Amino acid sequence: MPHHLFKCSECIPERKKHAVIKGEGEDLTSCLPLGYLNTIPGTISERGCAFCGAKHVIGTPMKDVIHLCHGPVGCTYDTWQTKRYLSDNDNFQFKYTFATDMKEKDIVFGAEKLLRQSIMEAFEAFPEIKRMSIYQTCASALIGDDINAVVKDIMAEMPEVDIFVCNSPGFAGPSQSGGHHVINIAWVNQKVGTYEPEIKSDYVINYVGEYNIQGDQEVMLDYFQRMGIQVLSTFTGNGSYDDLRGMHRAHLNVLECARSAEYICNELRVRYGTPRMDIDGFGFKPLSESLLKVGYFFGLEEKAQKVIDEEVARWKPELDWYARRLKGVKVCLWPGGSKLWHWANVIHEEMGVEVVSVYTKFGHQGDMEKGIARCGEGALAIDDPNELEGIEAIKKLKPDVIFTGVRPGEVAKKMRVQYLNAHAYHNGPYKGFEGWVRFARDIYNAVYSPIHQLSGLDISKDEISADKGFMTRQMISDVKIDTEEAALSEERPYTGDYDCVTKLRGKEYPLLEKSPSAN
Amino acid sequence: MEDIKEYRMEQLVDHIMKWSLWQFNSRAWDRENQNEGILTKTAQILCNEPVLLETPADKYYWAEAMVLARDFKINFPWLSEMEKHEIKQLIKSLKERIDYLTITGSLNEELTAQRY
Repeated sequence: MPHHLFKCSECIPERKKHAVIKGEGEDLTSCLPLGYLNTIPGTISERGCAFCGAKHVIGTPMKDVIHLCHGPVGCTYDTWQTKRYLSDNDNFQFKYTFATDMKEKDIVFGAEKLLRQSIMEAFEAFPEIKRMSIYQTCASALIGDDINAVVKDIMAEMPEVDIFVCNSPGFAGPSQSGGHHVINIAWVNQKVGTYEPEIKSDYVINYVGEYNIQGDQEVMLDYFQRMGIQVLSTFTGNGSYDDLRGMHRAHLNVLECARSAEYICNELRVRYGTPRMDIDGFGFKPLSESLLKVGYFFGLEEKAQKVIDEEVARWKPELDWYARRLKGVKVCLWPGGSKLWHWANVIHEEMGVEVVSVYTKFGHQGDMEKGIARCGEGALAIDDPNELEGIEAIKKLKPDVIFTGVRPGEVAKKMRVQYLNAHAYHNGPYKGFEGWVRFARDIYNAVYSPIHQLSGLDISKDEISADKGFMTRQMISDVKIDTEEAALSEERPYTGDYDCVTKLRGKEYPLLEKSPSAN
Repeated sequence: MEDIKEYRMEQLVDHIMKWSLWQFNSRAWDRENQNEGILTKTAQILCNEPVLLETPADKYYWAEAMVLARDFKINFPWLSEMEKHEIKQLIKSLKERIDYLTITGSLNEELTAQRY
């Protein structure tokens, strides 16, 4: 087993089994780190807690819901607005956050009265919203507040409202992934099957594990609707509470982020016989094949192919412009979970970049299997890295850019390595054909940013030339390409709009086909 | 000859590992069903044989198999020169290898968890 022990972690020898280097001839039977285990004492993990995984990742992207956190205000505040899950109802769930704001006296005397009061106040403040999710925290869980009992009373008093209880305190798992699991199962147990949705088509899907980061979901919905498919619900980005109660009526669960939402697909498959189909919304080839296989399932493959042909014709020349200039760029692919395998191979195949390392903060061994299978030889794979290991890896691998979250990203920037926000994106959406070009543009802008020319200079001692101006990005990037060949091609930089999502909201689609027997 | 067969089979394995996700469901029993359902139908499609489409699960396996077979034909033109029995033997070896990499030889300790 090609384990790797970081020098900085020699005092924590257990860390050795959490990192591997994929050597020549290595495969998954000889090269896989441990994963989804409690963080080893002494290592400062970058993980989130199970409350955060449930509320922040999965719960709060639901758009027409008051998301109330039963706990100290910090739990709510720190899980608010750090991920850009947009919605088409003026971002209600994004603009407001709600907390019972527990204090010491509530810990001593109990906080059920406070919870009840907070629920009533929230519904009074937003009378047009009739749906609520309540999230348990460590504080309220440890004192034993019975949220379910309070909710039962209120739903009896106010029959027009419906409330979901998510019992995932911070300690309910090794990482945020524990919270993903809890909220998946809680939703299917409490809410699926309690609402009958309107079925408008013979071709009905749930789009699962999709959080509408900067509009990802709306881009994908556009494709599905052009194919004549009814997207009954999205779990959960830009998703509606009642639509998600009707998930049992879909014919197919199309799963994007298996890390956070495979559980509900698995349960829907067992309980209702609905197949689970995993897809990749990132990259031209994976996305094309994803649309095609959804098309095959419903006999809509010709419509899928039409969408693919239109999109590829429009955007491929722009992807190629960036790919020509990104060839050989070294990348550390350090996201939270699923993007390590969504992106690992396709960014190499379609943009020419070299993935020198993958890591996951909260992924399981299954995520590493997918990621390592999709990486080339020599890649360093790390589970639950700490900050010092990240720094050591950067010094050793010397990447040009890192795709990661804000916290490790800021560390990378201080080391003069550019980073792109893999969770919330820089200038997303990144899904879809146009989105993939926007991602390529962001990588290009990061790698060839003129700031590199200045950031390494120390004005207190370095000589600063006053007679030379900045080199632009293209002056830097085009040094290594064949400019004559490039000029003869149809390649061009991105020509899309600053906002490529809002215009989709008023778009009209062909009437859906529905046979009389469709339920 | 055996070397060529092995080389070709490994090309198919590499393709699946790089571009597919269906082989990585989270439990061993689930991976067995996926590998069996999708690769059986892939062989039938490549051999122009009828494919059973009775249940939603059949339709799902078939949809995955259609995309895989299409990809195989585009990327590995030597498939079109093979006899049906050779294709079946090749996919049989492929399934054994995928089963080994994802199930029997897998280091993933969650594969045998009793619940999802």
